[in-house]
Amino acid sequence: MGEQVARHEGVSFTVRDASRLGFDYIKRRMQRAAIVMASIALAIAFLSSLMMTDLFYRVYSQLSGASLSVETYQYWLVFVALIVSVVGITNAMLIAVYERYREIGTMKCLGALDAHIVMLFLVEAIIQGLIGGAVGFLLGVLTGLLSAGFTTGFDIILKAPGLDLLAYLVGSIALSIGLSAAATLYPAWRAARLNPVEALRYEL
Amino acid sequence: MSFDSIIELEDLARHYDMGGDTVKALDGVDLKIGRGEYVSIVGPSGSGKTTLFNLVGGLDRPTRGRVYIDGIDISKLDAYELAWLRCRRIGYIFQTFNLIQVLNALENVALPTVFAGVPRDEGLKKAEKLLQSVGLGERLHHRPTELSAGQQQRVAIARALANDPAIILADEPTGNLDLNTGTEIIDLLHGLNKKGGLTLIAATHDLKMIKASDRIVWMRDGRIEKIERG
Repeated sequence: MGEQVARHEGVSFTVRDASRLGFDYIKRRMQRAAIVMASIALAIAFLSSLMMTDLFYRVYSQLSGASLSVETYQYWLVFVALIVSVVGITNAMLIAVYERYREIGTMKCLGALDAHIVMLFLVEAIIQGLIGGAVGFLLGVLTGLLSAGFTTGFDIILKAPGLDLLAYLVGSIALSIGLSAAATLYPAWRAARLNPVEALRYEL
Repeated sequence: MSFDSIIELEDLARHYDMGGDTVKALDGVDLKIGRGEYVSIVGPSGSGKTTLFNLVGGLDRPTRGRVYIDGIDISKLDAYELAWLRCRRIGYIFQTFNLIQVLNALENVALPTVFAGVPRDEGLKKAEKLLQSVGLGERLHHRPTELSAGQQQRVAIARALANDPAIILADEPTGNLDLNTGTEIIDLLHGLNKKGGLTLIAATHDLKMIKASDRIVWMRDGRIEKIERG
Protein backbone atom coordinates (compact mmCIF):
# COMPACT_ATOMS: atom_id res chain seq x y z
CA MET A 1 0.00 0.00 0.00
CA GLY A 2 2.90 2.31 0.72
CA GLU A 3 3.78 2.33 -2.96
CA GLN A 4 0.20 2.86 -3.98
CA VAL A 5 -0.17 5.80 -1.66
CA ALA A 6 2.91 7.31 -3.20
CA ARG A 7 1.61 6.75 -6.71
CA HIS A 8 -1.84 8.17 -6.10
CA GLU A 9 -2.58 11.47 -4.51
CA GLY A 10 -3.07 11.20 -0.76
CA VAL A 11 -5.91 12.53 1.30
CA SER A 12 -6.17 16.27 1.65
CA PHE A 13 -8.29 18.93 3.28
CA THR A 14 -7.13 22.48 2.78
CA VAL A 15 -7.85 25.50 4.97
CA ARG A 16 -10.08 26.67 2.13
CA ASP A 17 -12.12 23.46 2.24
CA ALA A 18 -12.37 23.75 6.01
CA SER A 19 -13.47 27.38 5.80
CA ARG A 20 -16.18 26.56 3.30
CA LEU A 21 -17.53 23.78 5.48
CA GLY A 22 -17.07 25.85 8.64
CA PHE A 23 -19.15 28.67 7.14
CA ASP A 24 -21.88 26.18 6.26
CA TYR A 25 -21.96 24.89 9.81
CA ILE A 26 -22.16 28.41 11.24
CA LYS A 27 -24.86 29.46 8.77
CA ARG A 28 -27.01 26.40 9.29
CA ARG A 29 -26.59 26.27 13.05
CA MET A 30 -26.79 29.99 13.60
CA GLN A 31 -28.25 29.73 17.09
CA ARG A 32 -25.27 27.96 18.61
CA ALA A 33 -22.84 30.18 16.70
CA ALA A 34 -24.75 33.27 17.81
CA ILE A 35 -24.43 32.29 21.48
CA VAL A 36 -20.69 31.76 21.10
CA MET A 37 -20.26 35.02 19.22
CA ALA A 38 -22.38 36.94 21.73
CA SER A 39 -20.34 35.54 24.59
CA ILE A 40 -17.08 36.60 23.04
CA ALA A 41 -18.49 39.92 21.82
CA LEU A 42 -19.62 40.86 25.33
CA ALA A 43 -16.25 40.09 26.88
CA ILE A 44 -14.40 41.98 24.14
CA ALA A 45 -16.91 44.85 24.41
CA PHE A 46 -16.18 45.09 28.12
CA LEU A 47 -12.43 45.13 27.50
CA SER A 48 -12.47 47.60 24.63
CA SER A 49 -14.98 49.83 26.40
CA LEU A 50 -12.50 50.15 29.24
CA MET A 51 -9.58 50.71 26.91
CA MET A 52 -11.50 53.28 24.89
CA THR A 53 -12.53 55.15 28.03
CA ASP A 54 -8.89 55.11 29.05
CA LEU A 55 -7.78 56.34 25.63
CA PHE A 56 -10.35 59.14 25.62
CA TYR A 57 -9.33 60.20 29.13
CA ARG A 58 -5.67 60.27 28.10
CA VAL A 59 -6.37 62.34 25.01
CA TYR A 60 -8.55 64.69 27.06
CA SER A 61 -5.91 64.96 29.78
CA GLN A 62 -3.28 65.91 27.22
CA LEU A 63 -5.53 68.55 25.70
CA SER A 64 -6.92 70.06 28.89
CA GLY A 65 -4.31 69.32 31.53
CA ALA A 66 -6.87 67.49 33.68
CA SER A 67 -5.94 64.10 35.09
CA LEU A 68 -8.49 61.37 34.43
CA SER A 69 -7.87 57.62 34.45
CA VAL A 70 -9.62 54.26 34.61
CA GLU A 71 -9.56 52.41 37.94
CA THR A 72 -7.19 49.43 37.80
CA TYR A 73 -9.58 47.03 39.52
CA GLN A 74 -11.83 47.30 36.48
CA TYR A 75 -9.20 45.47 34.45
CA TRP A 76 -9.53 42.57 36.86
CA LEU A 77 -13.23 42.45 36.11
CA VAL A 78 -12.42 42.33 32.41
CA PHE A 79 -10.01 39.50 33.03
CA VAL A 80 -12.71 37.52 34.80
CA ALA A 81 -15.17 38.30 32.00
CA LEU A 82 -12.71 36.95 29.43
CA ILE A 83 -12.24 33.73 31.38
CA VAL A 84 -16.00 33.26 31.73
CA SER A 85 -16.30 33.78 27.99
CA VAL A 86 -13.63 31.15 27.25
CA VAL A 87 -15.37 28.62 29.48
CA GLY A 88 -18.66 29.39 27.75
CA ILE A 89 -17.16 28.83 24.32
CA THR A 90 -15.54 25.57 25.39
CA ASN A 91 -18.91 24.40 26.68
CA ALA A 92 -20.77 25.39 23.51
CA MET A 93 -18.17 23.74 21.29
CA LEU A 94 -18.25 20.53 23.33
CA ILE A 95 -21.99 20.39 22.74
CA ALA A 96 -21.35 21.01 19.04
CA VAL A 97 -18.99 18.01 19.05
CA TYR A 98 -21.64 15.78 20.68
CA GLU A 99 -24.23 16.95 18.18
CA ARG A 100 -21.94 16.00 15.35
CA TYR A 101 -20.66 12.66 16.63
CA ARG A 102 -22.12 10.77 13.71
CA GLU A 103 -21.02 13.32 11.15
CA ILE A 104 -17.47 13.20 12.48
CA GLY A 105 -17.54 9.40 12.25
CA THR A 106 -18.89 9.65 8.71
CA MET A 107 -16.19 12.10 7.68
CA LYS A 108 -13.56 9.72 8.98
CA CYS A 109 -15.11 6.98 6.84
CA LEU A 110 -14.84 9.31 3.85
CA GLY A 111 -11.13 9.79 4.43
CA ALA A 112 -10.79 12.61 6.98
CA LEU A 113 -7.70 12.51 9.19
CA ASP A 114 -7.75 13.56 12.84
CA ALA A 115 -5.95 16.77 11.86
CA HIS A 116 -8.73 17.59 9.38
CA ILE A 117 -11.37 17.37 12.11
CA VAL A 118 -9.32 19.64 14.38
CA MET A 119 -8.91 22.08 11.51
CA LEU A 120 -12.65 22.13 10.83
CA PHE A 121 -13.48 23.04 14.42
CA LEU A 122 -10.65 25.58 14.67
CA VAL A 123 -11.76 27.31 11.50
CA GLU A 124 -15.23 27.64 12.96
CA ALA A 125 -13.73 29.06 16.15
CA ILE A 126 -11.69 31.57 14.17
CA ILE A 127 -14.68 32.74 12.14
CA GLN A 128 -16.72 33.12 15.33
CA GLY A 129 -13.84 34.91 17.04
CA LEU A 130 -13.47 37.30 14.11
CA ILE A 131 -17.13 38.26 14.03
CA GLY A 132 -17.48 38.31 17.82
CA GLY A 133 -14.34 40.42 18.16
CA ALA A 134 -15.41 42.97 15.56
CA VAL A 135 -18.91 43.32 17.02
CA GLY A 136 -17.48 43.49 20.53
CA PHE A 137 -15.04 46.21 19.55
CA LEU A 138 -17.78 48.36 18.04
CA LEU A 139 -19.92 47.91 21.15
CA GLY A 140 -16.89 48.77 23.26
CA VAL A 141 -16.20 51.98 21.35
CA LEU A 142 -19.82 53.04 21.74
CA THR A 143 -20.04 52.31 25.47
CA GLY A 144 -16.55 53.74 26.05
CA LEU A 145 -17.63 56.92 24.32
CA LEU A 146 -20.81 56.98 26.40
CA SER A 147 -18.91 56.59 29.64
CA ALA A 148 -16.19 59.14 28.84
CA GLY A 149 -18.18 61.50 26.63
CA PHE A 150 -20.08 63.30 29.36
CA THR A 151 -16.80 64.43 30.89
CA THR A 152 -14.64 64.85 27.81
CA GLY A 153 -17.26 65.80 25.25
CA PHE A 154 -18.39 63.34 22.54
CA ASP A 155 -16.15 64.86 19.90
CA ILE A 156 -13.26 63.24 21.75
CA ILE A 157 -13.47 60.29 19.33
CA LEU A 158 -12.51 62.67 16.53
CA LYS A 159 -9.57 63.94 18.52
CA ALA A 160 -8.25 60.47 19.40
CA PRO A 161 -5.42 59.36 17.11
CA GLY A 162 -6.80 57.09 14.38
CA LEU A 163 -3.76 54.87 14.53
CA ASP A 164 -4.48 54.10 18.19
CA LEU A 165 -8.09 53.22 17.38
CA LEU A 166 -6.93 50.95 14.59
CA ALA A 167 -4.39 49.29 16.87
CA TYR A 168 -7.13 48.63 19.44
CA LEU A 169 -9.40 47.21 16.73
CA VAL A 170 -6.72 44.85 15.48
CA GLY A 171 -5.75 43.93 19.04
CA SER A 172 -9.35 43.19 20.06
CA ILE A 173 -9.97 40.98 17.06
CA ALA A 174 -6.66 39.17 17.49
CA LEU A 175 -7.41 38.55 21.17
CA SER A 176 -10.93 37.42 20.34
CA ILE A 177 -9.70 34.96 17.70
CA GLY A 178 -6.98 33.73 20.03
CA LEU A 179 -9.38 33.13 22.91
CA SER A 180 -11.99 31.49 20.71
CA ALA A 181 -9.38 29.18 19.18
CA ALA A 182 -7.87 28.36 22.58
CA ALA A 183 -11.32 27.59 23.99
CA THR A 184 -12.01 25.25 21.06
CA LEU A 185 -8.75 23.29 21.22
CA TYR A 186 -10.00 20.78 23.78
CA PRO A 187 -13.39 20.13 22.10
CA ALA A 188 -11.65 19.84 18.72
CA TRP A 189 -9.12 17.39 20.10
CA ARG A 190 -11.95 15.33 21.61
CA ALA A 191 -13.72 15.30 18.26
CA ALA A 192 -10.62 14.28 16.35
CA ARG A 193 -9.81 11.42 18.70
CA LEU A 194 -13.28 9.90 18.31
CA ASN A 195 -13.21 6.31 17.26
CA PRO A 196 -15.29 6.21 14.05
CA VAL A 197 -16.90 2.93 15.08
CA GLU A 198 -18.24 4.42 18.30
CA ALA A 199 -19.09 7.73 16.67
CA LEU A 200 -21.25 5.99 14.08
CA ARG A 201 -23.08 3.94 16.67
CA TYR A 202 -23.80 7.00 18.81
CA GLU A 203 -27.46 7.94 19.18
CA LEU A 204 -28.22 11.47 20.28
CA MET B 1 -8.60 -21.76 -10.51
CA SER B 2 -8.57 -18.09 -11.33
CA PHE B 3 -10.32 -16.68 -8.30
CA ASP B 4 -9.14 -13.10 -8.18
CA SER B 5 -9.78 -12.11 -4.58
CA ILE B 6 -9.97 -8.47 -3.58
CA ILE B 7 -10.55 -9.11 0.12
CA GLU B 8 -9.08 -11.91 2.20
CA LEU B 9 -9.82 -12.47 5.85
CA GLU B 10 -7.52 -14.79 7.78
CA ASP B 11 -8.56 -16.10 11.19
CA LEU B 12 -10.04 -12.68 11.89
CA ALA B 13 -11.08 -12.02 15.50
CA ARG B 14 -12.16 -9.03 17.51
CA HIS B 15 -12.68 -9.35 21.24
CA TYR B 16 -14.02 -6.63 23.48
CA ASP B 17 -13.33 -6.28 27.14
CA MET B 18 -16.63 -5.48 28.85
CA GLY B 19 -16.14 -5.00 32.57
CA GLY B 20 -13.82 -7.97 32.96
CA ASP B 21 -15.74 -10.24 30.57
CA THR B 22 -14.33 -10.89 27.14
CA VAL B 23 -16.97 -10.56 24.43
CA LYS B 24 -15.95 -12.37 21.27
CA ALA B 25 -17.72 -10.23 18.70
CA LEU B 26 -15.76 -11.97 15.98
CA ASP B 27 -13.89 -15.17 16.59
CA GLY B 28 -11.88 -16.66 13.77
CA VAL B 29 -13.35 -15.79 10.39
CA ASP B 30 -11.74 -16.96 7.16
CA LEU B 31 -13.21 -15.62 3.95
CA LYS B 32 -12.15 -14.70 0.44
CA ILE B 33 -14.21 -12.28 -1.59
CA GLY B 34 -13.68 -12.09 -5.31
CA ARG B 35 -13.34 -8.96 -7.40
CA GLY B 36 -16.79 -7.90 -8.61
CA GLU B 37 -18.55 -10.32 -6.32
CA TYR B 38 -21.79 -9.51 -4.50
CA VAL B 39 -21.75 -11.03 -1.02
CA SER B 40 -24.51 -10.78 1.55
CA ILE B 41 -23.60 -11.17 5.19
CA VAL B 42 -26.57 -12.50 7.12
CA GLY B 43 -27.07 -13.25 10.77
CA PRO B 44 -28.94 -12.25 13.89
CA SER B 45 -27.97 -9.03 15.60
CA GLY B 46 -24.86 -9.55 17.68
CA SER B 47 -23.54 -12.18 15.28
CA GLY B 48 -20.58 -10.00 14.34
CA LYS B 49 -21.69 -8.50 11.03
CA THR B 50 -21.00 -4.91 11.93
CA THR B 51 -17.71 -5.81 13.61
CA LEU B 52 -16.69 -7.60 10.43
CA PHE B 53 -17.56 -4.52 8.42
CA ASN B 54 -15.60 -2.22 10.65
CA LEU B 55 -12.54 -4.43 10.35
CA VAL B 56 -12.77 -4.76 6.57
CA GLY B 57 -13.25 -1.00 6.28
CA GLY B 58 -10.18 -0.29 8.39
CA LEU B 59 -12.31 1.47 11.02
CA ASP B 60 -11.28 -0.92 13.77
CA ARG B 61 -8.22 -3.07 14.51
CA PRO B 62 -8.53 -6.83 14.93
CA THR B 63 -7.54 -8.62 18.12
CA ARG B 64 -6.18 -11.46 16.01
CA GLY B 65 -5.87 -12.35 12.35
CA ARG B 66 -5.45 -10.36 9.17
CA VAL B 67 -7.44 -8.37 6.64
CA TYR B 68 -5.93 -8.21 3.17
CA ILE B 69 -7.27 -5.76 0.63
CA ASP B 70 -5.68 -6.15 -2.80
CA GLY B 71 -3.17 -8.42 -1.12
CA ILE B 72 -2.09 -5.77 1.37
CA ASP B 73 -2.32 -6.42 5.10
CA ILE B 74 -4.19 -3.35 6.30
CA SER B 75 -3.05 -3.75 9.92
CA LYS B 76 0.36 -2.59 8.66
CA LEU B 77 -1.03 0.72 7.43
CA ASP B 78 -0.61 3.93 9.38
CA ALA B 79 -3.45 6.40 10.03
CA TYR B 80 -2.75 8.32 6.83
CA GLU B 81 -2.73 5.21 4.64
CA LEU B 82 -5.91 3.94 6.29
CA ALA B 83 -7.59 7.28 5.60
CA TRP B 84 -6.45 6.95 2.00
CA LEU B 85 -7.91 3.45 1.83
CA ARG B 86 -11.24 4.62 3.21
CA CYS B 87 -11.24 7.59 0.91
CA ARG B 88 -10.28 5.95 -2.38
CA ARG B 89 -10.85 2.22 -2.26
CA ILE B 90 -13.97 1.79 -0.14
CA GLY B 91 -17.42 3.34 -0.30
CA TYR B 92 -19.62 3.14 2.78
CA ILE B 93 -23.39 2.98 2.88
CA PHE B 94 -25.11 3.06 6.26
CA GLN B 95 -28.53 2.06 7.51
CA THR B 96 -29.05 5.61 8.80
CA PHE B 97 -27.66 7.28 5.63
CA ASN B 98 -25.39 9.57 7.68
CA LEU B 99 -25.51 12.53 5.35
CA ILE B 100 -24.00 15.80 6.54
CA GLN B 101 -27.06 17.83 7.51
CA VAL B 102 -25.65 21.28 6.73
CA LEU B 103 -24.72 20.34 3.17
CA ASN B 104 -27.06 19.88 0.20
CA ALA B 105 -27.17 16.70 -1.87
CA LEU B 106 -24.56 17.92 -4.33
CA GLU B 107 -22.12 18.98 -1.59
CA ASN B 108 -22.65 15.75 0.31
CA VAL B 109 -21.74 13.69 -2.74
CA ALA B 110 -18.76 15.93 -3.48
CA LEU B 111 -17.38 15.71 0.06
CA PRO B 112 -15.27 12.56 -0.48
CA THR B 113 -13.70 14.22 -3.53
CA VAL B 114 -12.65 17.10 -1.27
CA PHE B 115 -10.71 14.66 0.91
CA ALA B 116 -9.28 13.09 -2.23
CA GLY B 117 -7.87 16.47 -3.25
CA VAL B 118 -9.99 16.78 -6.41
CA PRO B 119 -10.47 20.42 -7.49
CA ARG B 120 -13.86 21.75 -6.35
CA ASP B 121 -15.42 22.30 -9.79
CA GLU B 122 -14.42 18.86 -10.91
CA GLY B 123 -15.77 17.30 -7.70
CA LEU B 124 -19.10 19.09 -8.04
CA LYS B 125 -19.40 18.09 -11.69
CA LYS B 126 -18.75 14.48 -10.78
CA ALA B 127 -21.27 14.70 -7.93
CA GLU B 128 -23.90 16.06 -10.30
CA LYS B 129 -23.35 13.19 -12.71
CA LEU B 130 -23.57 10.64 -9.91
CA LEU B 131 -26.77 12.17 -8.55
CA GLN B 132 -28.26 12.05 -12.04
CA SER B 133 -27.28 8.41 -12.32
CA VAL B 134 -29.18 7.59 -9.11
CA GLY B 135 -32.22 9.52 -10.35
CA LEU B 136 -31.80 12.66 -8.27
CA GLY B 137 -30.82 15.11 -11.01
CA GLU B 138 -33.72 17.34 -9.95
CA ARG B 139 -32.78 17.37 -6.27
CA LEU B 140 -29.19 18.61 -6.40
CA HIS B 141 -29.66 21.54 -4.05
CA HIS B 142 -31.98 19.93 -1.53
CA ARG B 143 -30.73 19.36 1.98
CA PRO B 144 -31.10 15.93 3.62
CA THR B 145 -34.10 17.14 5.67
CA GLU B 146 -35.87 18.04 2.43
CA LEU B 147 -35.46 14.55 0.98
CA SER B 148 -37.35 11.32 1.62
CA ALA B 149 -35.60 8.37 3.25
CA GLY B 150 -35.18 6.62 -0.10
CA GLN B 151 -33.79 9.77 -1.69
CA GLN B 152 -31.36 10.23 1.19
CA GLN B 153 -30.09 6.70 0.70
CA ARG B 154 -29.62 7.42 -3.02
CA VAL B 155 -27.54 10.45 -2.10
CA ALA B 156 -25.54 8.22 0.25
CA ILE B 157 -24.98 5.72 -2.57
CA ALA B 158 -23.84 8.47 -4.91
CA ARG B 159 -21.50 9.69 -2.18
CA ALA B 160 -20.08 6.19 -1.73
CA LEU B 161 -19.22 6.18 -5.45
CA ALA B 162 -17.64 9.62 -5.52
CA ASN B 163 -14.01 8.47 -5.59
CA ASP B 164 -14.60 5.41 -7.79
CA PRO B 165 -13.98 2.85 -5.06
CA ALA B 166 -13.46 -0.84 -5.83
CA ILE B 167 -15.44 -2.01 -2.82
CA ILE B 168 -18.82 -0.96 -1.46
CA LEU B 169 -19.60 -1.83 2.16
CA ALA B 170 -23.29 -1.52 2.88
CA ASP B 171 -24.50 -2.04 6.44
CA GLU B 172 -28.24 -2.77 6.38
CA PRO B 173 -28.79 -0.33 3.51
CA THR B 174 -32.53 -1.05 3.33
CA GLY B 175 -33.06 -1.32 7.09
CA ASN B 176 -34.74 2.07 7.43
CA LEU B 177 -36.70 1.97 4.17
CA ASP B 178 -40.16 0.75 3.22
CA LEU B 179 -40.52 -2.25 0.92
CA ASN B 180 -40.81 -0.43 -2.41
CA THR B 181 -38.05 2.05 -1.70
CA GLY B 182 -35.91 -0.79 -0.42
CA THR B 183 -36.39 -2.69 -3.66
CA GLU B 184 -35.34 0.36 -5.68
CA ILE B 185 -32.19 0.70 -3.60
CA ILE B 186 -31.41 -3.01 -4.02
CA ASP B 187 -31.83 -2.72 -7.80
CA LEU B 188 -29.56 0.29 -7.82
CA LEU B 189 -26.84 -1.50 -5.83
CA HIS B 190 -27.23 -4.66 -7.88
CA GLY B 191 -26.83 -2.66 -11.07
CA LEU B 192 -23.63 -1.07 -9.78
CA ASN B 193 -22.29 -4.49 -8.98
CA LYS B 194 -23.24 -6.11 -12.31
CA LYS B 195 -22.64 -3.19 -14.67
CA GLY B 196 -19.99 -1.30 -12.77
CA GLY B 197 -18.03 -4.35 -11.64
CA LEU B 198 -17.98 -3.10 -8.06
CA THR B 199 -17.41 -5.56 -5.27
CA LEU B 200 -20.45 -5.27 -3.04
CA ILE B 201 -20.61 -6.54 0.50
CA ALA B 202 -23.88 -5.99 2.28
CA ALA B 203 -24.96 -6.89 5.78
CA THR B 204 -28.69 -7.38 5.59
CA HIS B 205 -31.86 -9.03 6.83
CA ASP B 206 -33.63 -8.21 3.61
CA LEU B 207 -34.64 -11.38 1.72
CA LYS B 208 -34.74 -9.55 -1.62
CA MET B 209 -31.22 -8.38 -1.09
CA ILE B 210 -30.05 -11.84 -0.13
CA LYS B 211 -31.62 -13.35 -3.25
CA ALA B 212 -29.84 -10.92 -5.54
CA SER B 213 -26.39 -11.79 -4.21
CA ASP B 214 -23.76 -14.20 -5.58
CA ARG B 215 -22.93 -15.66 -2.20
CA ILE B 216 -24.53 -15.59 1.20
CA VAL B 217 -22.40 -15.79 4.31
CA TRP B 218 -24.38 -16.82 7.37
CA MET B 219 -22.90 -15.70 10.64
CA ARG B 220 -23.59 -16.73 14.20
CA ASP B 221 -21.76 -15.89 17.42
CA GLY B 222 -18.81 -14.31 15.66
CA ARG B 223 -18.19 -17.22 13.30
CA ILE B 224 -19.23 -18.19 9.81
CA GLU B 225 -22.00 -20.76 10.10
CA LYS B 226 -22.34 -21.57 6.41
CA ILE B 227 -21.78 -20.10 2.97
CA GLU B 228 -24.38 -20.55 0.25
CA ARG B 229 -24.37 -19.76 -3.44
CA GLY B 230 -27.05 -17.22 -4.30
